[in-house]
Amino acid sequence: MAGGVVHGLGKRDGAMKFEGLLWWILFLPLGAAVWITLRTLKNPGRSAALSIGAALASFVLAVIFWAANGWTTGQVSVSWWRIGSWTASFDLRVDPLSLLMLLVVTGVGSVIHIYSVGYMRGDPGYARYFACLSLFLFSMLGIVLAGNFLQMFVFWELVGVSSYLLIGHWFERPAAADAAKKAFLTNRLGDLGFLAGILVLQGVAGTLDFGRLEETWPEQVSALGATATVVGLLIFCGVVGKSAQFPLHVWLPDAMEGPTPVSALIHAATMVAAGVYLLCRVFFLFTPEALMVVAWTGGLTALLAASIAVQQNDIKRVLAYSTLSQLGYMVMGVGLGGPAAAMFHLVTHAFFKALLFLGAGSVICALHHEQNIWRMGGLWRRMPVTFWTFLVGTLALAGAWPLSGFFSKDALLAVAWGRSLPLFVLGVGVAVLTSFYMFRLVWVAFGGPARSEAAAHAAESPQGMLWPLRLLGVLSVVAGVIGIQPVLQAILPGLEGSHAASWWGRLMEPFHHAPVPAAAGLAALLIGVGLAWKGYAGGAEDPVPNRWPVLGRWLRDRFYLDELYEGTVIWFHDAWARVVAGVERWVLNGFCLGLVRGGTDLLGQSLRLLQSGNLQTYALVFVVGLALLLWWTLGG
Amino acid sequence: MGPWSEKEAMTALGWMVLVPLLMAVAVLCVPQSAPRAPRLLTLTALGATLLLALRVFVGFESAPADADGYRMVTEIPGLGAPALGIRCRLGVDGLNVGLLLMGALVGLAAAACAREVQTRTKEFYFLLLLMVGGILGAFASLDLFFFYFFHELALVPTFLMIGLWGRGTDQAAVAYQMTLYLTAGALVALIGLIALYLQVPPELRTFDMPTLSRYFREHPLPPEVQGWIYPLLLFGFGVLVSLWPLHSWAPPGYAAAPTATAMVHAGVLKKFGLYGLLRVGQPWLPEAAADWAWVVAWLALGNLLYAGWAAMQQRDLGRLLGYASVAHMGFVFLGLAAGNAMGMTGAVVVMVAHGLLAAVSFALAGHLYQQTGTLEMGQMGGLARRMPFLGAALTMAALAGCGLPGFANFIGEVTVFLGAWQVPELRVVTVGGLWAALVVGAIYMLRAVRAILHGPPGIAGASGRDIEGGWERWPHAMLLAGLLFLGWLPQVLVGKVEPVAARMVQREPTGVLAPGLEVEGKALTFPAAAAEGRLREVDSVWTGDGGIRQGPGM
Repeated sequence: MAGGVVHGLGKRDGAMKFEGLLWWILFLPLGAAVWITLRTLKNPGRSAALSIGAALASFVLAVIFWAANGWTTGQVSVSWWRIGSWTASFDLRVDPLSLLMLLVVTGVGSVIHIYSVGYMRGDPGYARYFACLSLFLFSMLGIVLAGNFLQMFVFWELVGVSSYLLIGHWFERPAAADAAKKAFLTNRLGDLGFLAGILVLQGVAGTLDFGRLEETWPEQVSALGATATVVGLLIFCGVVGKSAQFPLHVWLPDAMEGPTPVSALIHAATMVAAGVYLLCRVFFLFTPEALMVVAWTGGLTALLAASIAVQQNDIKRVLAYSTLSQLGYMVMGVGLGGPAAAMFHLVTHAFFKALLFLGAGSVICALHHEQNIWRMGGLWRRMPVTFWTFLVGTLALAGAWPLSGFFSKDALLAVAWGRSLPLFVLGVGVAVLTSFYMFRLVWVAFGGPARSEAAAHAAESPQGMLWPLRLLGVLSVVAGVIGIQPVLQAILPGLEGSHAASWWGRLMEPFHHAPVPAAAGLAALLIGVGLAWKGYAGGAEDPVPNRWPVLGRWLRDRFYLDELYEGTVIWFHDAWARVVAGVERWVLNGFCLGLVRGGTDLLGQSLRLLQSGNLQTYALVFVVGLALLLWWTLGG
Repeated sequence: MGPWSEKEAMTALGWMVLVPLLMAVAVLCVPQSAPRAPRLLTLTALGATLLLALRVFVGFESAPADADGYRMVTEIPGLGAPALGIRCRLGVDGLNVGLLLMGALVGLAAAACAREVQTRTKEFYFLLLLMVGGILGAFASLDLFFFYFFHELALVPTFLMIGLWGRGTDQAAVAYQMTLYLTAGALVALIGLIALYLQVPPELRTFDMPTLSRYFREHPLPPEVQGWIYPLLLFGFGVLVSLWPLHSWAPPGYAAAPTATAMVHAGVLKKFGLYGLLRVGQPWLPEAAADWAWVVAWLALGNLLYAGWAAMQQRDLGRLLGYASVAHMGFVFLGLAAGNAMGMTGAVVVMVAHGLLAAVSFALAGHLYQQTGTLEMGQMGGLARRMPFLGAALTMAALAGCGLPGFANFIGEVTVFLGAWQVPELRVVTVGGLWAALVVGAIYMLRAVRAILHGPPGIAGASGRDIEGGWERWPHAMLLAGLLFLGWLPQVLVGKVEPVAARMVQREPTGVLAPGLEVEGKALTFPAAAAEGRLREVDSVWTGDGGIRQGPGM
């Protein structure tokens, strides 16, 4: 990177303290990944230590930076490559949004790194796993700190590759290898729109820098007309891919083929949230029409995924569809003009969803990789820590007061209540379904009698896996009231309220500020719990397939959307490929080259006739040729 | 009289071209009793060449530039016919310095990966050295005659190499087809070059390319003359670069070629045609280049999508890589068609990046063929377990091939897209390029990885071994390191290429200016639109200070 230029751009503050720390935060995980790949692949313990060390160091440095600077704004820029007066620059952008995300990513990331030590013990690809995990952390931090669209795209793709490598960690399993390929290709479809949007944006705005765009875009919007909406929608394509919104959601459930810590980190807490983060980052770019598309896409995804989750029997698939549904919620929140609420839910969701996945991992490990909930049961007594933390996570997800999920979900519902009644009703409906399928999961997996040998002999996981659960459990409880809302409220629209100083005031805030959504949320929770209790507590099998077989089948088979993709997108490409192969064989190689070959042959054969070996023929040709020559020179 | 009246000293550049050629002769003289000698001599020579190429590349900025912008200008004494105006002069500028370094890297790696050749090794290494020396000379040449001569010197050995050491059942037929096709293309280009030479008045005629450049700048040829010469160059050089639909020689040729030949041909030789278009076609025939730009763009789309789709159907890794290399040339043609500094700079970066990528891909395929006896992907599977290094390297090559950031290919491709997007007429093609790069490229590369490396073990490869030890791994590591280095520190290359590209474009009358040039309040037009009397609105114009000004529509 030539010519380092360090300056503190920003709306408020001047230079930041300890700017160099940002480079360390970003590149330490990359250093770990490279070192492990080159030097310590044969040494699992050292690889894990390097990887965890880098993650923790990044977290500590992030905390130090935040402590020294507070919620500041600034940017560190380096020129990357230059053509004429156009520069691709490598920026590290700091503002409250990226600082918050930085703390969440490094914090949750470190916790999951530590958890992986226990989960992946004995795996032959242990060192490779940690190298890929570090690569992922580097890429994710690059997204968080990116200061312009080109850099964002670079790290967007790198995160996609890390995901590919980690989903396909057990690559000898066909299901895992196929899932990795599917994830990458589906993301690429979204990235196609994303890159097209970047090109259009460069063309109409002349810059890709977030700060400069934020300053100049509002003036340009009126002049641009429909182009402004198109730009927003194209950028949204990237979000649809990365955050698994309908119709590019099909890769996320399959991604559960990867190790469970990977599912927790990448496919719940951080990578899939990158789409929502981008939406909040460039919220100013979206016109009201674009936002409407965004909101309805989010809402539809939330409803679709929650419905499918109702009939899934693999513990990780339930959580995967739950993640899809919550991401839909967040996207819907942004679309309704409440990006702050969406970011708030993103942060709380990172805590409790990671907790739920890690808890699921604990169960899976204890039951020797059994993932079907109907072969579990009775675990609440045999694995108490796992059970209680999982229950806390479930309550947080379902929106029980006073856990963090209540506050963030209420913020989203409040935004919907204020802007769009249909989406509010949809949101409450999804909340009912969420509560229903999560408690179905809890009653079936943890409650009732043990339904298999493995479940009967399950033992609690080692402490190395339990402490992350406890820590995330605490965070899931308190994250609603530790002061995240004011930070977000200051930079993005969508969170209202006075945020009283006293604890009780903060806990009761939603009821004062927007009582209807708060009450509706709690009612949804109770209805869901009740229905789940009625259907599943103590039962030995799922009652839905018997009572409503057709509905059950559609839900279980995910509305046949995967098959639809198979039939259309894949088929389309393969059909064209066959046409092309045919043209290659028959037209270009067969006909054209054949013509050349045949023509040359023909020419050769006919000329050969002149070499007849017959003296008379030669004499004739000689005389005829001479005559022609004379006629040409003397005559015509 | 002339700029070369004093003898120019032999520089690193001159030795870089001479060493492989001289060593080729030396290899022929090696007695039969020393079977390992040809390989050792070749590796030494090409190692020295690489060091010299690095010296040229690193010392590029500090070397003084002559009046035409060339540095380290060297004349190799003894070659050429001064009476006819032919002198063997070599020089570097931003356009060829990256290609020379890439050529040297690929040449050395190819020699290292030629372990599979066990019969008649002397002849094989002789031909390989001729190839490398020839193509380096072609890139570095400042004389039109030697430009063409060195290329032919590099091309003819491929015929022998495929015919004698090739793979598969009908390698003789493939060798014939490929060589005849390429020679026909070179012939068409030669006609164009001779036509250009003859356009100069007899008293000024010379083969010296900088002089001719200056001449054509000051006395541009009339558009009608340009109009028939440019297509000759375009399609002649196009065949050499596998421009669609003249690409049929590539997939069977690369599938049948021995590893080293495929590496050098796909990596380096193929770029000669594009280099010719950039060096000769664009600057000497600017109006024709602008008129034909839309043809080039749509043919580029053919490369990108058609070859990409064809690649999806391939079951043989060699043919898949052949089609993939055809597809990547589409990016370079798109950059060429854009006709602005960004497009051209991106095109050169793609050329360098693809050279390294093609070399490492064919090297890995070569190892697979040696170990498993086949390149049928359906018979492989799960090889990442048995061959972890090959697995990692092949995965990296596959990802680089579908334009993953972090590798040099992404830098080139994104620059080409940004450059092409500035030209409204090329936007449809650019979107097609995006689709080809992001989606189609990923589909066939990931399917290949899935079939070869992932999943349960297949029939082939049950007994194969990995690329083991530093001795075998270093060529692949070197090429991948090159891709990563240029992917993260692209300014090293872009900084050299960009001034040349900007200068080439400044003289373009097309109206799409290089960023950084002032507009002086005039509306920008595209020639076709101007001819119709309508002025088009251009989205934005970059002024020297990095700000934007909206193009006024009239």
